[in-house]
Amino acid sequence: MRSIFKTGALALAATTMLSGAAFADAHGVSGPLRIFSDMSNPAPRAVMEDMVARFEEANPEVEVELVITDREAWKTQIRNVLQSGGADIVNWYAGNRMAPYVEAGLFMDISDLWEEGGLTESLASTQGSMTMDDGIWGVPYTYYQWGVYYREDIFEELGLEAPTTWEEELSNCQAIIDSGRACYTIGTKFLWTAGGWFDYLNMRTNGYDFHMALTAGEVEWTDERVRATFENWAQLIEMGAFIDDHQTYSWQEALPFMVNGEAAAYLMGNFAVAPLREAGLTDDQLGFYQFPQINPDIEPGEDAPTDTFHIAANAENVEAAEAFLLFVTSAENQTLINNGENLGQLPVNANSTVDEDEFLLAGFDMLSNNATGGIAQFFDRDAPAEMAQVAMQGFQQFMVDPSTLDQVLMILEQARSRIY
Amino acid sequence: MFPRPIQQYGPAARVTYQTLLPLALLVWLIPLLAVIWFSIKPGEDFTTGNYWGLPTGEAGFQGITNYLTVFTQSAMPQYLWNSVVITLPTMFGAVALSCMTGFALGVYRFKGNLLIFFMFVAGNFVPFQILMVPVRDLTDQMGLYDTRTGLILFHIAFQTGFCTLFMRNFIRALPRPLIEAARVEGVSEFRIFWFVVLPLMKPAIAALCVLIFTFIWNDFFWAVVLTQSPESQPVTAGITAFNGQYRAMYHLMSAGSIVAAIPPVAMFFLMQKHFIAGLTLGAVK
Repeated sequence: MRSIFKTGALALAATTMLSGAAFADAHGVSGPLRIFSDMSNPAPRAVMEDMVARFEEANPEVEVELVITDREAWKTQIRNVLQSGGADIVNWYAGNRMAPYVEAGLFMDISDLWEEGGLTESLASTQGSMTMDDGIWGVPYTYYQWGVYYREDIFEELGLEAPTTWEEELSNCQAIIDSGRACYTIGTKFLWTAGGWFDYLNMRTNGYDFHMALTAGEVEWTDERVRATFENWAQLIEMGAFIDDHQTYSWQEALPFMVNGEAAAYLMGNFAVAPLREAGLTDDQLGFYQFPQINPDIEPGEDAPTDTFHIAANAENVEAAEAFLLFVTSAENQTLINNGENLGQLPVNANSTVDEDEFLLAGFDMLSNNATGGIAQFFDRDAPAEMAQVAMQGFQQFMVDPSTLDQVLMILEQARSRIY
Repeated sequence: MFPRPIQQYGPAARVTYQTLLPLALLVWLIPLLAVIWFSIKPGEDFTTGNYWGLPTGEAGFQGITNYLTVFTQSAMPQYLWNSVVITLPTMFGAVALSCMTGFALGVYRFKGNLLIFFMFVAGNFVPFQILMVPVRDLTDQMGLYDTRTGLILFHIAFQTGFCTLFMRNFIRALPRPLIEAARVEGVSEFRIFWFVVLPLMKPAIAALCVLIFTFIWNDFFWAVVLTQSPESQPVTAGITAFNGQYRAMYHLMSAGSIVAAIPPVAMFFLMQKHFIAGLTLGAVK
C-alpha cells in the first residue's frame, strides 16, 4: 500500500515541482524581500535561516531581510508590523487565528497562487484551514497530529484492540480500570490538555462544522448538543478513566503514569513520542490510534495545529514573496524541513516523504486520508484567547467534578456573550 | 549587646538552636539542592517520574554529559560571553558616573543640589515594571532593541541613580578639611577629585562594583524585555532556550542554571568583605 502511495507521490511531486518552478521563473523574481518570522526556538530558528539561505541561492537576485522575533512576543507585534508595512511575509497560524488579520485586510488573498502553483492538490489537507471568507490567506509549512498514544503491551496483556467506536472505547476502558490502571493519563495544570479532550469529544459527537461554529461564538454553550458532548465525557470521568489529581500535573509530569504502566494511554500531540521513547518505551510497546468514532454519521475531524506563512496586504515585493511561499511548500523543501533532524513534524505537501517513523507515518496517513471532517487547529487557537482561557478552566473544573456541569456551562455562556 | 550570644543561654535553648539551625538551613537550601541534583540526572528520569531517586537507566548519573551538552549543544558559551560583555561595561560605567555625580553632589554647595540629588534617588522608587513598555519602545526607536549596547546603556542609566545615592553619602562622610586643605594649596578641582577624593573612595568603589556586578549578572527582567536573540541575550534569559516549544528539558535547564550562577557566587565568596561593606556602608553614622 505504501509503495503504491510512494510511486504515485513521486510522480505527482515531479509534476507539481515543475509547475511550481515554472510559476516562479515566469516572474524572474528580484529585489529585497522582508520576512518576519516567529521561529525563535533554536531548532526552528536554524530551519528558518537555512530555508532563507537556500532560497537566496536559488534566487540570487533576491535579497532576503530576515527578522526573527520571539514566538510569544510576536503574538502582540504582528499587528504593528502588518499595519506599518514593514514586512512582505509573516509567520502566523491557520484557522480562526487568521480572522482578525483577514477581516482587517492585512493579509493578502493568494487564491490565485494556490490555483496556479498547484497547491490546491498538493496541500489539499490544509486548504480548509487556510480558507476564510472565500479567500485563501497563506500557506502552511508544518503541522503535527493529535491522537491517542497507548501502551500496546498493556492492551495485549488485557486482550484489547485499539477501539474504533465509542462502545469499544468504553468496554476497553472498563477492562483497563478493572486491571487496576487508569485508561488515560492527563495533566490539566496548564489547562490546554483538557481543551484537546473537548475538541475530540465535540468533533466526534457533533462534527467539525459544529465545533467551528462553537469556537467562533455562534452557538450557545448551554445548547443541548454541547451538553451531549459533556455527557460523553462524563461517562469516562465517572468510570474513573482519568488519573487522579490531574489538575496538579503539567503535561510532562503526567508522562510517568504512562511510562510506569499506571495509565494505558494519553491523548496528546506527536511531540509526546520523543520523551516516551527516551524514557525507554520501544515502538513495540507504544502505539497510536485515531480518536474513536462516537456518532457513526459524522466525518472525523482532527486537531492538527498548523504553522503558516502569509503575504502582507501591503507587501512591496509580491512576486518574490509568492516565489518564497511556493519554495516553502514544495515537496522537496517540506520533506527536508520536517524530517527528524529539523522540525520532526509532518510535511504539509502530500507529495513529500515522511521519515520512516511509525508515528509520523500514521499521522501523515491519518491527516491526508482520514480527516474528512476537517482539520481543527486546537481549542486555544480556534477560540479567541480570552474565551479559551475561561472555557479551559471550565473543562478542568468539569473533569475534577462533573456534577458542576450546569454551573460550568453557565459561566462559559456568560463569557461567550461578553467576549464575541 | 544585642542579640545575646547563644553561649549565654541555658543548655536546653542551646540544644534546640543547634538542632533547628541545620534543619532551617536545609529547608532554605532545598530548592538549590534540587537544582544541583536534577543537573546530574539523565533526562528520561523526568519522564519516568523518578525525580528524587538514583538514576534508573544503566548509564547512571549524567552530570558530565549534561554539562557538556550545555556547553557544546546550546548557545551557552555565547550567552555567558554576552553576560560578561553586558555586565563589565555596566559596572564600570555606572560606578564611574556615580563617582563623578557623587563628588559633585557631595562636595559642592549650590542651589538645587538637593533637588538634583532627590531626582537621582527618586528613580529608584519607580517600579521598573512600569518602565517596561516605554523603555522597550525607546530602545526600538533608537535601533538598539535586541543589542547588547541597548541593555548596557539602560543598565548604566538605571543603576547610576542608586550608585549616586551611595557615593554621595560616602563622600559626605569624608573629612572636609582634606578637600579644603587641597584648595588652599591651589590644587585644581579635577585634581582634587582624582588625587584626593578618589583614593579615599576605594572601599566604596570596590563594594559598589561587587554589588552592581551581581545585580546586572542576575538581571532577568530587562534581559527578556530588551533582547531576544542568542547574539545578544545574557545567560539568565538564555536558560529559557532549554524550554523547547513543547517540552522543558529540566536536566539541562538545571545544569545551565548552575553554570549561570557560578560567577556571581564566586564573586560573592571572593569579595565577601566588600560585599558586606557594600550593604552596611553608611548604615552607621
